Amino acid sequence: MLPSTLNDDAFDHDAALMACAHGDRDALRRIYERESRYLLGVALRIVRDRAAAEDVLHDAFVSIWSRASSFDASRGAGRGWIYSVVRHAALNRVRDSARETTLDEPAAAHHDTQAALAAWNTSGDELARHAALGRLGHCLDGLEPTRRSCLLYAYIDGCTHGEIAQRVQAPLGTVKAWIQRGLRALRECMQ
Amino acid sequence: MSNDTSPEPPMGSGAYDDLQTQAGEYVLGTLEAAERRAIEARLPHEPALRAAIEGWEQRLLPLTTLANPVEPGAGLWPRIAASIAPARRAQPAAAGRHWWQWDSLALWRGLAGGGFAAAAVLAAVLVVREAAAPPAPRYFVVLAAPQSQAPGWLVQAQTEGRLRLVPLGIDAVPAEKSLQFWTKADGWSAPVSLGLVKPGEAIEVPVDQLPPLQPNQLFELTLEPAGGSPIGRPTGPIQFIGRAVKI
Repeated sequence: MLPSTLNDDAFDHDAALMACAHGDRDALRRIYERESRYLLGVALRIVRDRAAAEDVLHDAFVSIWSRASSFDASRGAGRGWIYSVVRHAALNRVRDSARETTLDEPAAAHHDTQAALAAWNTSGDELARHAALGRLGHCLDGLEPTRRSCLLYAYIDGCTHGEIAQRVQAPLGTVKAWIQRGLRALRECMQ
Repeated sequence: MSNDTSPEPPMGSGAYDDLQTQAGEYVLGTLEAAERRAIEARLPHEPALRAAIEGWEQRLLPLTTLANPVEPGAGLWPRIAASIAPARRAQPAAAGRHWWQWDSLALWRGLAGGGFAAAAVLAAVLVVREAAAPPAPRYFVVLAAPQSQAPGWLVQAQTEGRLRLVPLGIDAVPAEKSLQFWTKADGWSAPVSLGLVKPGEAIEVPVDQLPPLQPNQLFELTLEPAGGSPIGRPTGPIQFIGRAVKI
């Protein structure tokens, strides 16, 4: 179920980004061939529209190309940098268009996350989850399930506080407090 | 170059927690559009905020594996490829044509690194150097920073119809900005773009569509929006400027 990209270090994202910074268009294509299906999956969950998600990916790759020289390869983490560019492009798009909360939210998107959460709570998947998520999976396991759901709805589905409040059937202020406490607990757990 | 001024708040302080919360919510995605823009506007000046955000990006990155992969349509890559090809992008210099020897470039860089600004001295070095290695350029230009007069780039016109721009160091260009290369001879109404330039990277530019080089012809590098000036003439501050000298 989980793609194995995390543990696959055969592709050198840092080197590809440095090549992009030097104008090597083929390096950008290699990143695209390597990551585009995963990146489109990430963007689609946030913007929830196929054409919009492809637009986000287009804009993000143009941004990766033009900003590659600002990526600090000495700190590594090129793959994470690429994912961040795509996620923030998707988040800016949905926030800027001020998506109406919940009313037009496709049921399918909700069900995807429900399924992920159900899988989360199935002990049989624990090993696979920890293999993919590592320390983060362990720390998320330690959170109260509804608070964990708040963080996942936000990160994976790009939900606003209001959308999360609808999904978990809790007051807005409570959801905000849960998220802040959840973040703090994660940070302490992962130190 | 950098106006990083904010010190990192001590760990465990309220300010540190606030910073971590803002960074975490930004990465998580729960901030409103205006809040997101406010965070992004602070990034260039606040290294502590940048570091906090980087920490959260790395911490939460594994969650991206929970989104199922979706194959993009066949048309997406061609669209991207078309978007990263500016109409007048300068070609990176071809490898292997080392008429310009690296040992002498190192000498230039040494002069540049020392903030040495005397074009006459540089010219003397070039003449001595080129005497031993024909064919000599017919023109050269030292592009210097307008304030400090420190030389940053060298323009060579060694063959008919081509210019070569060689960096003497690596200058930082802010994210979302591009360095654009321009020239203007006496009598031209406006500068002409010679394409975009990357810091630290030599390029060769075809100029066979332009009138022949003239003594005193102006060359400059300006800071423009990413992808180059939207209006076809310089809009941003001059980073380096110089005039052609015949040798």
